[in-house]
Amino acid sequence: MPAAGRTYWLTEPCRIRREDNSIRVERPDGSPVRIPITDIRDLIAFDHVDVNTSAMSMLSRNGVTLHILDHYGNHAGHFSPAESVASAAVIRRQVEITADPDRRTAIGRALVLAAAENLRWALDTDLLDPALQSLRTDLPDCKDDDAIMGQEGNFRRTAWAVLDTQLPPWLRLNGRTRRPPTNAGNAFISYLNALVYARVLTALRSTPLHPAIGFLHSDTDRRRNTLALDLAEPFKPLFAERLLKRTAHQRALKPTDFETDVGRASLSTNGRKKIAALVREELSTTVHHRTLKRKVSYEELIHLEALKLVRLCLEDTPYKPFHPWW
Amino acid sequence: MSSLDDFPADDGAAVGGVHIKYFVHCPRQLWLYARGYRPEHRSDRVAFGQVVADTTFTRRRDIDLGEAKIDWVTTGAVVHETKSSRAPSPAHAAQVRHYCLLLERRGISVRGGTVHYPLIRRTTDVPWDDDARMAAEDAETQARNVIAATEPPARLARTGCRGCSYLDYCWGD
Repeated sequence: MPAAGRTYWLTEPCRIRREDNSIRVERPDGSPVRIPITDIRDLIAFDHVDVNTSAMSMLSRNGVTLHILDHYGNHAGHFSPAESVASAAVIRRQVEITADPDRRTAIGRALVLAAAENLRWALDTDLLDPALQSLRTDLPDCKDDDAIMGQEGNFRRTAWAVLDTQLPPWLRLNGRTRRPPTNAGNAFISYLNALVYARVLTALRSTPLHPAIGFLHSDTDRRRNTLALDLAEPFKPLFAERLLKRTAHQRALKPTDFETDVGRASLSTNGRKKIAALVREELSTTVHHRTLKRKVSYEELIHLEALKLVRLCLEDTPYKPFHPWW
Repeated sequence: MSSLDDFPADDGAAVGGVHIKYFVHCPRQLWLYARGYRPEHRSDRVAFGQVVADTTFTRRRDIDLGEAKIDWVTTGAVVHETKSSRAPSPAHAAQVRHYCLLLERRGISVRGGTVHYPLIRRTTDVPWDDDARMAAEDAETQARNVIAATEPPARLARTGCRGCSYLDYCWGD
């Protein structure tokens, strides 16, 4: 069943108010836009947004999440409804599974390997095969999260170097940097990663799972929702690296879409809008799902992935991380 | 306001009308529902049902029994239930019978029930007699057994799952 409601991307500065049972979005130009509250699943604010409390309480009553991205595209925070769909049975099992070091690291290893394989798939090159092979041999020996993350870091460094060979010089990463990203390529990746994180968090919010109890990232990692960070891993290549490659090939982005300074870079307002359009289009791309026997969008894939974890918690079904099958 | 209003709180052993409806439709759905996994808010069909409930028989009031919420009751104690479905189903009748049972336990002499299908402008009568009482009690016991089981019941045949809001969970792998 497709999800009720859709995502709205606020790419311009605006003011959000309540008007009866609608959200009224007032933009600096033109007349306000009214959106029925039942049509909204979540809102993503890319720019300055004024919200008042009556609008927020209506968002909360209707289970709408509001994500806020900061200037560099980091996830600055979100406003989520007070009532969640949490289930004690699921959370109890989730805690049990994550508290068991063996099961926890097993799932962590699976996630890292899946992310690496997906990255190999996204870059579509055999230059990564040796690195992937050594990751496969080294991972089973990793006994704790730090070791797993270390292996992941090694692979990622190789992969980004390979990605650089497929990019024009101005968009190359030259080593991954963040907070703040130092060049255009890094700004792009950071921005997309923040968006994927926000999408995963929304998906998790519509399941009974607790987003803060994760498998891979340590509990204090950037004090964020670690399960959302975990689950975002296998999806990052699908959106971030793949889209970067594509925009470079199609010349969809120009150097003027970035505001580059010495040692820091961010997207310009126009660049942000372009990326919002790109991602929105990408999220609504559909593929045929073999067991559901219908088309599912990339957005829904994230939700289905979260459901696999619910199934793991409720029924002990083994968890197989997402891998693109098309 | 919220689309989940007609899914009553799951306090302990209380078996409500939705529990019985789900049990008759698919025991697995009941098992998952009772464990707090409730994906109905993502379902367009449930949202549609909510709209149908909100826009038909607007002069009638809900009867809240705590574990169940009856659409409305008319004099002589006839239980009424609105469904947005276009096809009467055994699950709907079972749900109404369960409401009759709950009312009778509160000392009300129940005459019967009616399921309304506003989309096809038909009603179906649900008789309330000894057989119906037996069936309702039987369904309640079986539903309790399903909820108490540690293992989830198996999936039904795929065609039966069409339109179910649990479909993504059961088949999405």
